[in-house]
Amino acid sequence: MMRKPMRVDDILNNDVWDVDYEPHIRVDTTKCRECEEKPCLLLCPAQCYTLAGDEVLFSYEGCLECGTCRLICPHDAVSWDYPVSGRGIHYRFS
Amino acid sequence: MLKMVVGIKWVPNTTSVNIDPKTGTLIREGIPSVVNPHDLEAVEMALRLKDEYGGKVTVITMSPPSAIAGLEHVLGMGADEAILVSDRAFAGADTLATSYVLAKVIERLDYDLIIFGQETIDSSTAHVGAQVASWLDLPYVYYVTHAELRDRKLVVRRSLENAHETYELELPALISVAMHTLHPRRVKVSNKLRVKLENPIKTWSNQVLGLDPECIGLRGSPTALSKIEMVPKVPRKNEVFRGDAREAAKWLLEKLMEEGLLKLG
Amino acid sequence: MKEVGYKFDVIVVGAGPAGSAAAYTLAKKGFKVLLVERGRVPGSKNVFGGRVYADPLRDVFDGFDEAPIHRWVTKERISLVNGEAMTSFEFHERKRTSFTTYLTELACWMARKVEEAGGTVLTEITVDELVVEDGKVTGIRVGDEKVSSDVVIDAEGINRLLLERAGLVPKLEVRYAGLGVKEVIKLSKKEIEDLFGLDEDEGLAWLMMGDVTGGLPGGAFLYTNRDSVSVGLVVMLGEAVKEVREHISRYVEALRLHPLLERYFRNGRIMEYSAHLVPEYTWPSLPHRLYADGLLVAGDAAGLLLNLGYNFRGVDYAAYSGYLAAKAVEKAHEMGGMTSENLSVYERMLEESFIMKQLRKFRNAPKMRENGRLYTTYPEVVNSVMDQLFHSPYEIPKVMEAFKRAKDGKIGWLDLVRDLLEVVRSV
Repeated sequence: MMRKPMRVDDILNNDVWDVDYEPHIRVDTTKCRECEEKPCLLLCPAQCYTLAGDEVLFSYEGCLECGTCRLICPHDAVSWDYPVSGRGIHYRFS
Repeated sequence: MLKMVVGIKWVPNTTSVNIDPKTGTLIREGIPSVVNPHDLEAVEMALRLKDEYGGKVTVITMSPPSAIAGLEHVLGMGADEAILVSDRAFAGADTLATSYVLAKVIERLDYDLIIFGQETIDSSTAHVGAQVASWLDLPYVYYVTHAELRDRKLVVRRSLENAHETYELELPALISVAMHTLHPRRVKVSNKLRVKLENPIKTWSNQVLGLDPECIGLRGSPTALSKIEMVPKVPRKNEVFRGDAREAAKWLLEKLMEEGLLKLG
Repeated sequence: MKEVGYKFDVIVVGAGPAGSAAAYTLAKKGFKVLLVERGRVPGSKNVFGGRVYADPLRDVFDGFDEAPIHRWVTKERISLVNGEAMTSFEFHERKRTSFTTYLTELACWMARKVEEAGGTVLTEITVDELVVEDGKVTGIRVGDEKVSSDVVIDAEGINRLLLERAGLVPKLEVRYAGLGVKEVIKLSKKEIEDLFGLDEDEGLAWLMMGDVTGGLPGGAFLYTNRDSVSVGLVVMLGEAVKEVREHISRYVEALRLHPLLERYFRNGRIMEYSAHLVPEYTWPSLPHRLYADGLLVAGDAAGLLLNLGYNFRGVDYAAYSGYLAAKAVEKAHEMGGMTSENLSVYERMLEESFIMKQLRKFRNAPKMRENGRLYTTYPEVVNSVMDQLFHSPYEIPKVMEAFKRAKDGKIGWLDLVRDLLEVVRSV
């Protein structure tokens, strides 16, 4: 196995999703512009939150549905729900 | 009132198939199956037609019994009944033998319209819809993005790269739905309850169908897979541009022209 | 909102250990039970560390011996880690008290038991809302449909979106949550037994404290499954928000690549990467009442998890709380209905059970685990003492001498005594 740290994308490659058609999480990124801390960038385990320039970019596809972002967001910018119809992450060995 | 039959396939969720670095083979352990996503679009089209004109949607699949979970999913979306076509004798079928069995199943049903998805995510042949249409001698239009009824005729739109074509079909007919055109609807709790409490799934084996063993399963399949080769990895150039979007676009355009991949005409 | 054509005595939300235990217990007693689960199959949204205590589950489920058990934990190892040094305590006894498994498998088994007992299990159903009418929970809303029942048992998990939407609880505070992130690494059965010195059905539970969590307050764990190991960490989210320095996956990778641990995973490959929140600080700050008119709350949604630092009790607490919720419904039924007053028996039953007794006994444990010295100073001191005792061939120090040298400049006697007392009082 890799003897150096793997990128989170490569680690996530081992997981299974049936991605929902509509995002189950919506982020009001206008609030992110005011946000100094942006803890989501480091604490979302799937790195769904990334920076593009100064903008926070959110993508829901690789979400592990843990709920961390909802709790840690200092500006309440995250409206959070679960995927429907059995979609989203499908854990098998956890 | 439209009587519709939709064919679906229960496939491994190939969005998540990985290669074992040690053996170079596919890791199949624990890969869950899903209803082929493009077939969910076929189900969605049938349900929209039913919403509009009334009718009945019967979903069929040829598969081992594990596909019952997939049939439950589409019944949850609102299909009326489902038939699992399942027999060891059907195993190992290529698209020809598969389409033969499905055609024989459909023959026994009362139908106006048959709908398939464009192709499957596990083999991408797009054969089965066309083959079923041939077996049943039905008009067939593929890449359909929209369908409606006018005077007992089905008017369908078909999207090609640079044109939209409109066809008028006498029923019965067969269409396949262009992928990425429809969002399958959410599973409803009332439908799921009906599945559990009224069990609308029937299983048909070859005892029911009585098909010639020479025409089904491995023996009925002329396709032979001669070889699988891995495509060698092409080394990629990797450059990252940091800066604003307008400059990035300009930079990318120049790069692509430099490489001869784009020409200004 | 359309009413569906079926009505139930009880609706249970969430087919995790709490929900399935509740649904199973009631179905067995002849109640008309509906268990709804948002995942494609029961268990597909569940994550745990790696170990379950068997007895509480045996009390709940008949035929428990057929459950998917990977290995019985006969080896307990607790390690203090700093830098490239590690001091471990190990306890090995061949008793079958707790076992490793995949919760995804175990939850699936539990939901099958519900069906066997006559309950109806629906997957792929995400509940949008508890339906509250005249202050009483009367069912659930899914999309534009309502399913009615006399009582709803909410076992929706730690995020408890439904309770929040019903205005029954505030949003969970960051300081009451931990974040668990783990990798499941595939190895062969034989490799596991050779690497960890285990017999065929024996398992290891290994808890690590120190800088293996990269300075974030929390702990690291490793559990041996049948033919894989689960390795990961649980960090206190309230502290992590302030102290996290790089992406959280890097902390897990640093653990996998730790010079003393990497040897275990060298021949493996990652099978799955998962993350889940963990209730922390459950007592005395249980954030809400666990019953209302037509409603009971069980499992993670009720915050019922014990984290001692050297051991976690989540799955069995969840299952047992679900079982008690079912018993409370039975009692309330005998008393004439699912009123808040009748259902309040649930809290009394919880109080008298091992769950609340232990949560109360260890109520100071979460506070203790906020003490940063546990993760930094003490592992360092202990490893320094060991280093002096074993790596000083020409001048072996006396133990006290080594200890004094190790602690000087790092911690004073007063803090030491204070911390010691806190640990003794807490755990």
